[in-house]
Amino acid sequence: MSELVACKCTNCGFVNYPKHDRCLNCRAREFEEITPSGEATLITYSEVCTLPWGIDERCRMLGIVQFENKVKAMGRLRVDKPRLGMRLKPSWEPVRVIGGEEVLGLTLRRAK
Amino acid sequence: MRKVAIIGVGMIPFGRRDEDSLVDMLSYAALNAMDDAGVGERPIDAVYVGNMGAGLFNHQSAVASALVDRLNLFPAAADTVENGPASGGSAIKNGVLAVASGHSDLVLVAGGEKMREVIGPRATDIVATMTHPQAEYIYGATLPTMAGLFTRLYMKECGVTSEHLARVAIKNHRNGLLNPYAHIHALITMEGILKSPHAVVNNPIVADPIRLYDCCPVSDGAAACLLCPAEMVGEFGKPAIVVAGFGQATDTHTLQEREDPTDLKAVRIAAQKALEMAQLKPKDIDVAELHDAFTILEIAESEHAGFFKKGAGAKALDEGQTEIGGKLPINPSGGLKARGHPLGATGVAQVVELVWQLRGEAGERQVKGAEKGFSLNFGGFGNNVVSFVLRRE
Repeated sequence: MSELVACKCTNCGFVNYPKHDRCLNCRAREFEEITPSGEATLITYSEVCTLPWGIDERCRMLGIVQFENKVKAMGRLRVDKPRLGMRLKPSWEPVRVIGGEEVLGLTLRRAK
Repeated sequence: MRKVAIIGVGMIPFGRRDEDSLVDMLSYAALNAMDDAGVGERPIDAVYVGNMGAGLFNHQSAVASALVDRLNLFPAAADTVENGPASGGSAIKNGVLAVASGHSDLVLVAGGEKMREVIGPRATDIVATMTHPQAEYIYGATLPTMAGLFTRLYMKECGVTSEHLARVAIKNHRNGLLNPYAHIHALITMEGILKSPHAVVNNPIVADPIRLYDCCPVSDGAAACLLCPAEMVGEFGKPAIVVAGFGQATDTHTLQEREDPTDLKAVRIAAQKALEMAQLKPKDIDVAELHDAFTILEIAESEHAGFFKKGAGAKALDEGQTEIGGKLPINPSGGLKARGHPLGATGVAQVVELVWQLRGEAGERQVKGAEKGFSLNFGGFGNNVVSFVLRRE
């Protein structure tokens, strides 16, 4: 970890992810690039069993998490029995093949 | 601005239409609307076509130009309008603005999509191109995924249960049975989709906690309407149904960026704008067509549009308030759930249904005495929403 880069507004401190050219909170245009820090908290999740073209899996668990430094992101959950509010440890791993290229993304496992 | 009226509407049955191309379907729906209005040989000034994905589904582009050519509407101005699943609503909005501004007098709006030309997983992937390319799509996120993520939170915070979701599906399938244009003509029961031992087979998980019968079908279809200035209505043989108000609003591309992911801000604002323009309150509406691509959305939209307080939509459903004979009938057409959801067609089909309802032409699914109707067309996962209020005058 980490290839995920979020943008912290230098005017108001709001963390924008994905990228915006004007802050979602104050519309300022100057940002400091930050990466997610610490563990993540699970906000919501879904086990998806009707996956799109190009993903040869029966089901896949996806979730939205928030990191300790306010970065919020979607990621792939590698957890057996997820529950809202649980703590997760991030890694950066292959999540999909698009156009023959392996794409890396946020992957989350149960924090010990 | 000039007041705008809808003087003709038309549809074709939604479903799997292997024999028809996208332009075939748009043309048939447009001809139905033109005949309904009785426009005869009168020139049509402009054509707007709502379509989301002809380039990907059908390897075709410039659909509005193709429709003008097919119908010999030359030299009408023609534009294809793309706003995801709200393309139809946006096409009507553009048509309304063209007439209201005085730029055009007679405007044809059509919406259509031919989704069944590709196999299911491919269709799912094409629809998923609406998600954020780096923050969502790469993970395999689909629109049902977004609905699953949203539903889990909404259930937790607003007291919605799987039974409530099933009740939306059962109601809308029952309504769809009364609509000859609906994709799905099948009654379903609580036992069959949720309570019996077979339910898990009949109604498998699509994106937990949502199941198959919480999702709209993948459909082919088209719908159309004809707009003109209200002062011209007397030249046609139809009752005056006017566009009393419209609203549109946007929200963040990703669900995760919303301060409260259960707050459908764009729905709230679009509905408010439409109602304010019409100088009406939610309680004044007699019938509503909401965008129930997923059952949770009918409940959530009914709350965010102001018909019920947040958390009270499921109770209203339990009490039968949203049935055809209820206080506020929602989706008498069967909604997206049963009528089907050919993406670009949906926003137009909602308005077509409202026109039939306000004219008293909706047959067995007629809402008695309906004079004011409301529609809500939900683009992306609530990041671009278009709403209309129609009124019989």
